[in-house]
Amino acid sequence: MSAPLLEVEGLARHWAVKGGTVRAVDGVSFALGRGETLALVGESGCGKSTTARLALRLIEPTAGRVRIDGTDITGLSGGAMRRMRRQAQIIFQDPYASLNPRLTVGEAIAEPLIVHGIGDAASRAARVRELLGLVGLAAWQAGRFPHEFSGGQRQRIGIARALAVQPALIICDEPVSALDVSIQAQVVNLLKDLQARLGLAYLFIAHDLAVVKHMADRVAVMYLGRIMEVADKRSLFANPRHPYTRALLSAIPQPDPRRRGMVKPLGGDVPSPLNPPPGCRFHTRCPHAEAICREVEPPDVEVAPGHRSACHFAAALPPVEALAGEGLSPIAARRLALFAERKPTQSAPSTLT
Amino acid sequence: MSATTAEAEAPRRPGLLARLLRDPAAAGALIFTLLLLAAAALAPWLAPTDPLDNNLALSMQPPGSPGLPLGADAQGRDMVTRMLFGLRASLLMGFSATLAGGVVGVLLGFLAAFYQRWLDGPIMRLMDMMLSFPAILVGLAIAAIFGPGLSSVVLALAIATVPLMARIARGSALVTMRLDYIEAARAIGMTDARLIWRHLAPNCLSAIFVFTTLRFGQVILLGSALSFLGLGAQPPTAELGAMASEGRNFLFFAPHIAVIPCIGIFAIVLAFNLLGDALRDALDPRLRF
Repeated sequence: MSAPLLEVEGLARHWAVKGGTVRAVDGVSFALGRGETLALVGESGCGKSTTARLALRLIEPTAGRVRIDGTDITGLSGGAMRRMRRQAQIIFQDPYASLNPRLTVGEAIAEPLIVHGIGDAASRAARVRELLGLVGLAAWQAGRFPHEFSGGQRQRIGIARALAVQPALIICDEPVSALDVSIQAQVVNLLKDLQARLGLAYLFIAHDLAVVKHMADRVAVMYLGRIMEVADKRSLFANPRHPYTRALLSAIPQPDPRRRGMVKPLGGDVPSPLNPPPGCRFHTRCPHAEAICREVEPPDVEVAPGHRSACHFAAALPPVEALAGEGLSPIAARRLALFAERKPTQSAPSTLT
Repeated sequence: MSATTAEAEAPRRPGLLARLLRDPAAAGALIFTLLLLAAAALAPWLAPTDPLDNNLALSMQPPGSPGLPLGADAQGRDMVTRMLFGLRASLLMGFSATLAGGVVGVLLGFLAAFYQRWLDGPIMRLMDMMLSFPAILVGLAIAAIFGPGLSSVVLALAIATVPLMARIARGSALVTMRLDYIEAARAIGMTDARLIWRHLAPNCLSAIFVFTTLRFGQVILLGSALSFLGLGAQPPTAELGAMASEGRNFLFFAPHIAVIPCIGIFAIVLAFNLLGDALRDALDPRLRF
């Protein structure tokens, strides 16, 4: 196997605050191959977005390495880092904050081309038209300002801007969680479509498991700045080997009253990253916690090929018949169906939405 | 609702002027400001006489005398002419001081916000030090070094304006820097200079613009005060503060010589303050309905 496109090793970011250090991201490692989608899921505040920004060095890491296409970017100088940014781009959660209100859509999409000195004015204009078409917007809309577009359209403009420099990797920081469900389907399918056409790799940050199930090849579950479990999508949803993953999957709303109460929801709050619990970080809320969990940090063990879990009892956890079906509630399943249904209309550029 | 928020983010939307004109005070201030600027710009052509033409026979003629609608000053110079040229000098002084202080202040404010880790402390503490000197004191010091004159006043007022502008620019830059499009610009890999110029500055301008308008009025007032104290424009140059100062000696015999320039100063400052308030309201989406 060739070197992965994105390789993150022991990545950490600590913030000094009054009274201690917040360990927002505390030793995260993963790898992402070309054309692959790795979803990073977890509760709010677990460090997903910080990890995304660290991977692009938008925030300087406290420790750890990030390699893009084999090059360690943590030590790159200003100019080399700026050139490296052609390889990896980012899409943001909030489509209203991610576009400069003073630039027309065409200017915003051409900006990366100008910055990297790609083409002349005429070829850039052509490229902007091409990119707009690629994300399903019309070329004449290049002269419009962001406020003239809906949230879903703005998100697609953000995608076009990210695609402008032909990156191999796009980091999607909750790209659909600010959108309506029907618009989510469009954007998610657009991302899948672009991946198929352009061979993109996605680091896909999300907290919505239905979207993750639709998008991801592999899933990494984060809790309090650490990765708890990584596996390919199928085995993670069918056979989660970490109690936290199980809790997440069972937290999907369960409309069938006969199934309610079969899985205990998690009690308590996420502990503060200012002072993470000793031993396993999850032991304060874990239904399976024992003495060892309070003292010894569990190692990251491979429970099956490509399936790693950081739990002392990863192999000993009971089977998961309590989790509904494949781990998806009927509501989530309906949304998945909606995504699939929307798919055929996706490739035709539509300007109506 | 969503239409109004969308409109609020429109930077080059039409209708800023329309919204300004909807408020009668703002419309009045805008029209009056434009008239003042026109009068100052066209002073050499509008003025009936030369500003230095004196005719002692007409000394202290009251307003309404034949051929002298605003009367004449102690030297018998036409007050209409003096006011037009005084206005020109005052506005020019206010404009250059606000511009110079504004450019330097905004630049320092942006740098402090952008390189917060290294520059915020040093720059802003320096600004705090500058803020602790009253403008009049700075004016006295500059006049002591370079001698009194309009350029000394401009320099003093520019120095007094820098810290205020830096604070406004830093504040609005800090807010804008948190927005995702700044991060997106960074992710694209542009240089800091381009990021500041193209993405940060344009989105901070409305706050800076409003403050500049308000500051302009204050600068005119301070400049007039410095001239009144004899640190600014020297006789026989026509400048509103200096004219008020000259007229002070004749306050009991010919009050119009001092009062008319004072009314002029009052009107300029009032017009710019109203304009600044109206601009702030027109640019602030939350105050719109």
